[in-house]
Amino acid sequence: MAAERHASVTWTGDLLNGSGTIDEVGSGAFGPLDVSWAARSEEASGGKTSPEELIAAAHAACFSMSLSSGLAKAGTPPERLGTSAVVTFVPGTGITKIALTARGSVPGVDADGFLAAAEQAKKNCPVSQALSAVPEITLDAALDA
Amino acid sequence: MPRVVRQAAVAWEGSLSRGTGTATATSSGTFELPIDLPSRISDKPGKTSPEELLAAAHAGCYSTSLAGEIARAGGTVERLDVSCTITLDEVEGKGHLIVSSELDVQARAEGIDRAGLELVARKADEGCTFSALIRASASVSVRAELAS
Repeated sequence: MAAERHASVTWTGDLLNGSGTIDEVGSGAFGPLDVSWAARSEEASGGKTSPEELIAAAHAACFSMSLSSGLAKAGTPPERLGTSAVVTFVPGTGITKIALTARGSVPGVDADGFLAAAEQAKKNCPVSQALSAVPEITLDAALDA
Repeated sequence: MPRVVRQAAVAWEGSLSRGTGTATATSSGTFELPIDLPSRISDKPGKTSPEELLAAAHAGCYSTSLAGEIARAGGTVERLDVSCTITLDEVEGKGHLIVSSELDVQARAEGIDRAGLELVARKADEGCTFSALIRASASVSVRAELAS
């Protein structure tokens, strides 16, 4: 079964001075969200999101769901997972790196088991596969202290 | 230009089928969105999903790229409406994969005719970093029309 997901953006003006809005998404879960080139390419994002931040959210969400699935299949569902994705974007070059971090509270799993499950999730989640052309994707996974 | 770093975080509780999570835009603080599995795979999503976030990312990436290309071609953008549809499908032997991203563009711009728009729409696709990434494993298509 195929699942289609949809989003619409409106842009006005040129690249450097113009701005855009993610008007709506199929689920209705968010929007409108403002985007601009400055928010994308400068150090401080000024309260606007960017494609790279949305990709970070997509990857962290996909990775979390895949990790929870793998842990549950092994008979040890997580109580809680905290993950993050940091996307590095070099204007003119593209996305050069994604750094995934995972912390988990998972009864019945040791550090090695958690790391192995996280490696599988990193390798197999659909967003990881879609972004496999990114030069470097790293993973730092550990159980909550 | 400087390296730019953007971060988002997810907190997830429970198993995949019954658990729920929250995706937060750490860099900008512009969103904090609930996620769950039914919203990812059902026909009537009530929450967002990784694929919907990617659709928003691709539409955003492409619209900035197209705005740049139209200006480079000597045109003036009044308004671009870009929508993106991402399809997740089960591929035999490979599990669930993102198989396609379709961009639909309505452009209102001075100084660009239909043939010119087709050219800049293609250049914008070549210049959009997300198009280049996803094309390694999925199909990317662009349909661009001048808005009447």
